[in-house]
Amino acid sequence: MSEGAAAFADLTEDDLRGVFEGADYVADEELVTAVYLSLKMGKPLLVEGEPGSGKTELGKVLAEGFETELVRLQCYEGLAAEHALYEWNYTKQMLAVQSGEGNVEGSGGTVEEPEAAGTGDKSVFSDEYIFERPLLQALTHEGPTPPVLLIDEVDRADEEFEAFLLEVLSDFQASIPEYGTVAADQRPVVVITSNRTRGLSDALKRRCLYCYVEPPEFEAELEIVRRKVPELDAAVAAEVCGIVQELREEAFLKQPGVAETLDWARAVATLRSNGDESHLTAEEIQRSVGTLLKEAEDVQRIDAELLERLETAAREARGRVDT
Amino acid sequence: MTSDTPDFDAARDHVLHEVVRFARKLRLAGATVPANAALPATEALVEVGLGDRARVRGAMHATLVTNARDSETFDELFPEFWYRLRTGLEAAAAVDDGEQWGDRGADERDGNTDVDGALSDPSAADSPDAAETLDGDGEGDPEGELEVRSRRIADTAVPPDEFDGDDERSSTFSAVGASTEIDDESTDGARLDRSAVQDFEAALATLAGRRWSRSRDGTAVDVRGALRESLSTGGVAVKLPARERDRSAFSACVLVDVSQSVLDAIDRGFLLSVLDALVADGRSVRVFFFDTDIREVTEVFARQRGDPAAALERSEVTWGGGTQIGASLATLRARWPHAVDRQTATVVVSDGLDVGELDDLEGGMAWLARRSGAVVWLNPLAASPRYEPTCRGMAAALPYVDALFAFGGNDDLRDVARQLERYGPGGPVGYEHDFRDRVPVGDGPDAGGADDDSGGDGSGRTGVARS
Repeated sequence: MSEGAAAFADLTEDDLRGVFEGADYVADEELVTAVYLSLKMGKPLLVEGEPGSGKTELGKVLAEGFETELVRLQCYEGLAAEHALYEWNYTKQMLAVQSGEGNVEGSGGTVEEPEAAGTGDKSVFSDEYIFERPLLQALTHEGPTPPVLLIDEVDRADEEFEAFLLEVLSDFQASIPEYGTVAADQRPVVVITSNRTRGLSDALKRRCLYCYVEPPEFEAELEIVRRKVPELDAAVAAEVCGIVQELREEAFLKQPGVAETLDWARAVATLRSNGDESHLTAEEIQRSVGTLLKEAEDVQRIDAELLERLETAAREARGRVDT
Repeated sequence: MTSDTPDFDAARDHVLHEVVRFARKLRLAGATVPANAALPATEALVEVGLGDRARVRGAMHATLVTNARDSETFDELFPEFWYRLRTGLEAAAAVDDGEQWGDRGADERDGNTDVDGALSDPSAADSPDAAETLDGDGEGDPEGELEVRSRRIADTAVPPDEFDGDDERSSTFSAVGASTEIDDESTDGARLDRSAVQDFEAALATLAGRRWSRSRDGTAVDVRGALRESLSTGGVAVKLPARERDRSAFSACVLVDVSQSVLDAIDRGFLLSVLDALVADGRSVRVFFFDTDIREVTEVFARQRGDPAAALERSEVTWGGGTQIGASLATLRARWPHAVDRQTATVVVSDGLDVGELDDLEGGMAWLARRSGAVVWLNPLAASPRYEPTCRGMAAALPYVDALFAFGGNDDLRDVARQLERYGPGGPVGYEHDFRDRVPVGDGPDAGGADDDSGGDGSGRTGVARS
């Protein structure tokens, strides 16, 4: 039986499309279905894709759309449980013990009874002395709508951290030795993103629904640019998207993502602040291509022949919009 | 007589059966499907319903696929799943009293019989997806013709001379070509630059070597480092620095295609020198030769260092036959299952021109990819600037390969090492990221290119020069 949050019991896919629409987030049907199932089934959603494809944005959009808190955990190499779950306020604990206000007995394995047995004093291992980190924040969130827990770029974290995540993601609870087990009253909406710099463990994948965000087709990308960079002329926006589509056919070390397309569109809009609607020239492309390509070797591959192809692609793209 | 009441139990059983079957078929096709995936998949179907193809597809994809690489396999198998799901449900909705519904669909459940059924079914024929599945590679597949021709040539009952104008291809692609013994004369070639091999080994090193270095995640305490640092704090070690062994040792399973087509395209002496060096330097390197069969030759290299050709000749090791990569991998899996593990880099040296069964090849490669730390494919034909991995064998193996590189000389090895060192086997590496200026030698089609062209001049050069 599905264990989705009660807050999403009446959610429909159309509602979800409305959320995306309201946030100007262009999502294909596959992503809509995956997010919908994640909300209804209460399972984490693992979103993979190239950098700049809108994975992180998805978490932000969901939090904004459902008017709930976004709890973000940015992963990095060396990320440990104490940075992700909780940390004791050692200074406060020490002062409490020295002043006799607290003792160092554990809370005995239950959160509800933090008083140390037999002493009558308050244990320094209680919620008063704890720093809540993102995972604990998400588990202890109070409110009508569960928070959105965004575990960003999980592939950057170590495998040990992945293993640590398993308990949180399967039971939505965490064990704190001195404190007890903290279980979520309502499951947070979990979005895990990965840039696929390394493979994730089968155990983690098994606990998640999966979605791979492909680079968008021309029409979808043009829609994104039009929404996010409305100051750019529509025909020029089409040329920008046409060129990016053509560039993605090249074997670059780092393919331009949607974020790069938007950066470039904004750059072109800035350079054409006078509202110029004319064709993008090879010189303009070359001058601003640094916003699209982020590897020196890739930039070096932009030669006269490729520029000519890009110009042709731009004209064809403009023609598709004009017609 | 037909009942008006749909058979809900049968429909439920049918859906469960089809979901489990679909998950199993995905696994058989090499996709990584979690063991419990059928459960969330069924739950997802409850949420999205069974009426809308796109929603069902989205639900099944989200729950059964865990790797973007498997999406293609999913898309190939989904139309069949959808067809079976729908036809079964329609049958359950109007089940005949005198007929067991399960029996009615039984002949459709296994093997290819459902494919035939789908072909004769007008509703299935209307579906472009169904047609795609039934046709195999689908419309416009450039490999279709090649596949048929290859299989005909592989058939021993058909004499090669029936293939007019295609003599070179028939000799190159033969699965049953006669092997020849290795001799010194045929193995004279370019001198190996040991530094190129060492770079290559270092880039693929997966095992801990002897040297230690500081590491935040190390499990051993760096006592000397702690003592040194304690000097500044009056002899009190404030923190204990950790260290671990450098990953500098190389463990590999090297699978070398010694079919005639590869030998025609590669510098044989260079190949043997590379293998000799790998066996000598690596912590655990096993070398296998394969064509239509596979045999281990590690001992031969280990026994006589420096002159592998003579050692191979004395051991009566032969080469130059046909190619059946899938069958060879199946033998490897059965006879030497521990030759590869997650600590081992698998290096395949082959042009991918295969005449065996594609299913065997894909199954073998899927196993190899699952078992190995990394699968690096070195293709002598990829040294050509016009190379595209479109031949059926290479195309089938490619999804399971972490990186495909050119392999023709010292410069190629250095470039492999450079790319792997920088981005790792899973990164943006491969022949398509080789930005050295590559100029075809002997201008014209003979210079190689498409991998259905052996492109060799018999000298073992790959027809490519570096500027």
